[in-house]
Amino acid sequence: MKVRKSLRLAVNILVHSKLRSWLTIIGIVIGIAAVVAIVSIGAGLQQDVESHLGGLGADLITISPGGGRASAGFRGPPGHEQGSTATSTDAENLTKKDVQVLQSVDGVALIQATVSGQGEVYYLGEKASVSIEGVDPLVWKEMTTSELASGRFLGPSDYNVVIVGNSIAENTFKQPLTVNRMITIEDKPFRIVGILQESGGFGGDDRSIIMPIDAARDTLEDVGEEEFDSITIKAANTDDVEQIMEEAEQKLLISRHLTEDTKDFRISSSQSTLETMSDITQTISSFLTAIAAVSLLVGSVGIANTMFTSVLEKTKEIGIMKAIGAKNGDIMMIFLLNSAIVGLVGGLLGIGLGTGISSLLPLLGMGIMGMGGAGMTTVITPLLLIGALLLSMGIGMAAGVIPAYRASKLKPVDALRYE
Amino acid sequence: MESHLIKLENVWKIYQMGDVQVPALRGIDLEVEKGEFLAIAGSSGSGKSTMMNLIGCLDLPSKGRIFLGGNDIASFGESQLAQIRGRKIGFVFQQFNLIPTLTALENVMLPLEFQDVDTSKARKKALEILNLVGLSDRVHHLPSQLSGGQQQRVAIARALAVDPEIILADEPTGNLDSKTGAFIMDLLSGVHREDSKSVIMVTHDFHLVKRADRIVYLKDGEIERIEHNHKEQGGA
Ligand SMILES: Nc1ncnc2c1ncn2[C@@H]1O[C@H](COP(=O)(O)OP(=O)(O)OP(=O)(O)O)[C@@H](O)[C@H]1O
Ligand SMILES: [Mg+2]
Repeated sequence: MKVRKSLRLAVNILVHSKLRSWLTIIGIVIGIAAVVAIVSIGAGLQQDVESHLGGLGADLITISPGGGRASAGFRGPPGHEQGSTATSTDAENLTKKDVQVLQSVDGVALIQATVSGQGEVYYLGEKASVSIEGVDPLVWKEMTTSELASGRFLGPSDYNVVIVGNSIAENTFKQPLTVNRMITIEDKPFRIVGILQESGGFGGDDRSIIMPIDAARDTLEDVGEEEFDSITIKAANTDDVEQIMEEAEQKLLISRHLTEDTKDFRISSSQSTLETMSDITQTISSFLTAIAAVSLLVGSVGIANTMFTSVLEKTKEIGIMKAIGAKNGDIMMIFLLNSAIVGLVGGLLGIGLGTGISSLLPLLGMGIMGMGGAGMTTVITPLLLIGALLLSMGIGMAAGVIPAYRASKLKPVDALRYE
Repeated sequence: MESHLIKLENVWKIYQMGDVQVPALRGIDLEVEKGEFLAIAGSSGSGKSTMMNLIGCLDLPSKGRIFLGGNDIASFGESQLAQIRGRKIGFVFQQFNLIPTLTALENVMLPLEFQDVDTSKARKKALEILNLVGLSDRVHHLPSQLSGGQQQRVAIARALAVDPEIILADEPTGNLDSKTGAFIMDLLSGVHREDSKSVIMVTHDFHLVKRADRIVYLKDGEIERIEHNHKEQGGA
């Protein structure tokens, strides 16, 4: 018998099946929904990480003080350390000498040394504590991936002017900050010359104020002359990043009279940070997917159970079909397709539910892993949907194999006698 | 080869019930000719259904041999047996045995679909036969929406759909009143006469038995006697 006809019979069985058998679909629905939602969250995380970190360029290497800390993964993106002054006071700060040493490393295109810290900002009678970054205006303009929403970049002769991150400009004060407004930082007046575009939740300069490094030194406490809170290297060639990192580390160790064990600085690249982040999101997704898989397994056992019952209930009909010429393969096909359709229907409903959940999650504004409260992104690709459908169909079929085989092996006389 | 359509040679069927062996058929020898109308009679439990199931390839004998068109059915594999059931034999059961979730038309089309007949051809053929059994106005009804007699007519239509050589009817009128039963009988003897199909029918009904060419009386799994009915044949 042709598959199309077996399919018709399989659908006929399904259409006439009892509510009880439909209920077992729920296991698959929930499992597939969970898989779709989880994978879409995972893909969203991945995308967030990539767009916000990867946007900074794969050619950036960051050196920051505080080597005692083993994990560099979560300290934020290179060159844009936020709130890192807390640790930078503990460790020996980076110095002008370090910058000079790094300049001698092969393959370095640009070096940016920055100072950073928290500063009290006053605006129209309101006060807020904001992270301040002092940068070399010319180099920063070259290296940053942030773009201006309005105004201009810092110039070489600028002193008491700032560029404000999007989030601070829009949300920190009742009145939004705009270009040419004056603000007071640590009792000093500054004029806003530029507002940055929103860079997204993770990393970026959304929650920073950027000013010339000289002004930052005069404004921030705890920043010694000739000292820096971080140094960012832009590699001339992306392929050399690894090698530059190694050479920079060796040279810094020598010039700072340190060994591997007493190392008091960290070197990370946007690439390595990206990889760490990816690893973490990957781990989280696989863990959640494993949970979803368990629910799928339970669902498939449910379907198998229903199929066994269905075969039992249909014993007489199987006998009839065999009496009028059905081959074992025909019976097998009918019941296998039947359970595949059950899986497919479960998959479709699950995809609907999962897509619903995954599109609702960002609306809840759930911030995951302190991602700047920008909400989470979920990504649903056609591949995910097709994969989920195939998976649900496969599960349905797998669950139906044994019952279908049993059905096909029934002896016609015995099946006919069954009441 | 040509002589006998069906031949049973010392056929035994022994059912194993736990430790007990129940012999349902004990050494049956029988030949059925092409185009013959054979009736099988006998008391309940005498082995009539067992014999029908064996002839219909729904089961295999415990001992002895059954030949269909000269071939020993024991030599066939499962799928070949299925093919014989599907092409050469049409079953009519006492319980009608229609698929409850399929309409009359779909039930009649089903054996054709198992034979990979084109859907449109199968449909045409099924409608034709349903018309023949007088059910053209009921083709889209489910079995549950039909009377017993109508259901049995659908079952006969289904048995005829593949144009089989042999019709096996196990008490086809057993669940019907005598008037409806007579109608079913007319149908069966009609196909026997007009299409010269072999019809083997189990019945308790003394009146129906008289329509057959031969009557085989079974008793305790053995053939007690065989009667010949010549006059009916001549009348037709
Ligand atoms: N599957 C089976 N297992 C065990 N014994 C069986 C089985 N099928 C039939 N029998 C036995 O075989 C004998 C013949 O049964 P069969 O159904 O052929 O009788 P029958 O002549 O058709 O009777 P009835 O007129 O009541 O239908 C009976 O004694 C029955 O109990
Ligand atoms: Mg019987």
